[in-house]
Amino acid sequence: MEKITIKINGKDIEAVKDQSVLEAARENGIAIPALCSHPEIETQAGSCRVCLVEVSQNGRTRLVTSCNYPVRKGLEVRTDTDLVRRIRKGVVELLLSRTPDAPVIQKLARENGIEESRFFVDEGEHYRNRCIACSLCTQVCEEVVGVSAISMLDRGRDKSPGTPYLKPSQACIGCGACAYACPTEAISMTDEGETRKIWGKEFKMVTCSVCGKPYIPEAQVDWIVKTTGKDRAFFDKCPDHR
Amino acid sequence: MTMENRKLQSVAALESYRTKIAESQKNEYPVIYVCGGTPCLAKGSRAVTEAFKKEIESQGLACKVELRHKVTGCQGFCSKGPVVSFGNDTVYLEVKPEHVPEIIEKTVKNAQVIESLGYKDPQTKKRAASFQGIPFYAHQKGMILKDLREIDPLEIDDYIARGGYASLAKAFAMDPEKVIDLVDQSGLRGRGGGGFPAGTKWRSCRAIDSEVRYVLCNGDEGDPGAFMDRSIMEGNPHAVIEGMIVGAWAVGAHHGYAYIRDEYPLAVKVMKKAVEDAAAMGLLGRNILGTGFDFDIKITRGGGAFVCGESSALMRSIEGKVGEPRAKYIRSVEKGLYDLPTVLNNVETWTNVPLIVNNGPKWYRQTGTQGSPGTKVFSLAGKAVNTGLVEVPMGTTIRELVEKVGGGIRSGRKFKAVQTGGPSGGCIPESLADLPIDFDSLSKAGSMMGSGGIIVMDEATCMVDVAKYFISFLAEESCGKCSPCRDGLPRMKQILTDITEGRGKEGDIELLEELCDVLSYGALCGLGSSAPNPVLSTIKYFREEYEAHIRDKRCPAGVCRNLVTFHIDADACTGCTLCAKQCPQECITGERKQAHVIDQSRCIKCGVCRDVCKFDAVRVE
Repeated sequence: MEKITIKINGKDIEAVKDQSVLEAARENGIAIPALCSHPEIETQAGSCRVCLVEVSQNGRTRLVTSCNYPVRKGLEVRTDTDLVRRIRKGVVELLLSRTPDAPVIQKLARENGIEESRFFVDEGEHYRNRCIACSLCTQVCEEVVGVSAISMLDRGRDKSPGTPYLKPSQACIGCGACAYACPTEAISMTDEGETRKIWGKEFKMVTCSVCGKPYIPEAQVDWIVKTTGKDRAFFDKCPDHR
Repeated sequence: MTMENRKLQSVAALESYRTKIAESQKNEYPVIYVCGGTPCLAKGSRAVTEAFKKEIESQGLACKVELRHKVTGCQGFCSKGPVVSFGNDTVYLEVKPEHVPEIIEKTVKNAQVIESLGYKDPQTKKRAASFQGIPFYAHQKGMILKDLREIDPLEIDDYIARGGYASLAKAFAMDPEKVIDLVDQSGLRGRGGGGFPAGTKWRSCRAIDSEVRYVLCNGDEGDPGAFMDRSIMEGNPHAVIEGMIVGAWAVGAHHGYAYIRDEYPLAVKVMKKAVEDAAAMGLLGRNILGTGFDFDIKITRGGGAFVCGESSALMRSIEGKVGEPRAKYIRSVEKGLYDLPTVLNNVETWTNVPLIVNNGPKWYRQTGTQGSPGTKVFSLAGKAVNTGLVEVPMGTTIRELVEKVGGGIRSGRKFKAVQTGGPSGGCIPESLADLPIDFDSLSKAGSMMGSGGIIVMDEATCMVDVAKYFISFLAEESCGKCSPCRDGLPRMKQILTDITEGRGKEGDIELLEELCDVLSYGALCGLGSSAPNPVLSTIKYFREEYEAHIRDKRCPAGVCRNLVTFHIDADACTGCTLCAKQCPQECITGERKQAHVIDQSRCIKCGVCRDVCKFDAVRVE
């Protein structure tokens, strides 16, 4: 871990070489709004473009996404210039016109001084509920869970996550990591009785032997047992009663 | 001969093989090259070839006829095909089977030129049947394209006979760093659009400490109307391969990929065969020419996404992943294909490399400008009289290209603008036509070189409509990864559609400009950040056209159907009836030699009447 000093908003801060500017800023109490970055993901996709900052390096100044811009020697970062504010506002306005019902986006819009989008709103077939197509769900499914049950389908404005051929996926273990990670709460997951529904598939839940609460899909237990060799009996109790 | 013993074991063996085939290729009669590029085929070049073959057979001549359709692409002059040439200065246009006996008798057997088969100058009516005498060819410089007209791309021997693979001998005798020095000094810049100095790219890649490096060829040409790289791959594949081998030697790579879009099946086939033949001759694979250097090339077929022409998306696609760009804060020369150091150059760039190594940077710099040396191949399209595949020195002005090579504007209308650089480029107005075509001048004017598509526009072209066309294309082709491009382009398209259909309102131009900024600064990849260029450049140079659409609900060019009506000027109309005959709605009436009238209730505003009228009597308002 090579420590280097960089400047953020004129202030010297200590950061680790190659960590992201976003991470370095947050560790030093400097807030940068962001939607699609996640600490568990190795390569941040940088698709939501909300975390834009202005960087100067080697005599060149430009806007970059702080979630995947690496900290390097001599870096100067500005998080709140006119340009940053203006472009971020534009990005958020576009996101709002795509997902006007997503509370996270509504809040972000208000914070950026947007009352309502001046652009048309996606309707009908293209109306994607709250999905901003950032692909974080698919990255979590692949990198963190390791099953790759979903991926990004189609392209352009039709791009959205889904299972192959939009059919219930053989690979999905119903863990719900995608839904937990989703920055805009766009993925529908319902737990009713001993059944969880997600991505058009039903999962039988394992019940805690102490409190009787259904807490984990059987398929997820199978997956963990298979990949880690953990004792199946461990899952008789929910985390609260282990 | 088996494949194995065709292998050339040394540089000396290549040279003696070259002498041998050059000797065996000597012909009593010149080779007849019949162009078989798609336009020439459409105009009947296959029948011309058959006629040549029959005539040669019946006369018992020992003469080779090449239909260059399977073989090479284009001889360039698409609008005047079928083109026939003979490996010397003579060239015939619009050749028909009935011309064949005369050509054999005069030109092939007696070296006489038949002037009547040459180019007829529309002004002077004079004929010229030579590359030097036809303005379309005379103002070109054939550094890259000359070989295309004369090499059989399916015959590696043909390439070797003309000096092919000679640059390998030179490069292998040099320290790799020195080869990079040559490319550096030549000033070669990437022909794919960005214009990045090739030498700098190669040097950075070589400097990275890594056991494995890659060199890639970008053959994913996807701009609407662009066909330069396709023609080169179809017409002279070994030049691309030779360039890549030199590049591999220079950067220290042992594996290469040529990424070719699958919509180019012929290019894929020709390149595949070329790679196989080169490997069989010991020019690819292990221990090339006995030097101990190993390098192989694999052909990867693209899956049909425009975005895969973008370098990082292309690399993902080769890896078998979804072709999406990534943030390039760490460059491809450091972390490219499989996260290893990678040099990616486009087809035309690689083709320039053997020329530089063979002739030296000083020679190379004699052509072109200080900042952009060499030539550039363009596909010249649109409203010019002469269209086709052309090559001119960098620094040639737009006007020279349009008026000399292109022969001016068809139908006598006024030259209005050129669109360069495909969807990432912009429109440059006639008032700036004296701008030299080079990487920096075009960028400064708000367009870009791009891969080399040039669309010539006349006064009957609506610039808002042009912007709408390109933005629609880009909205379709956006990969959808980042929000500015994915969500911004459909909204730009909507605003432009509203303007062209009469629903534009005050503030629309400013709103477009705002969105353009969000894309320029905020998009993830080069395609997204350059996507606003068609809009920004047309607003910059043709703002009054936007304003006419928005304020007066009027399309000055007479293109946007909701905003125009067609009338026949009774004073100018001679009653020739041509428009009435051509009208698809049959809604033009009038007696012979009397002024005609358009029935507005049935007119669909297609503009055919205006296009066919020889007296400029159809007015658009």
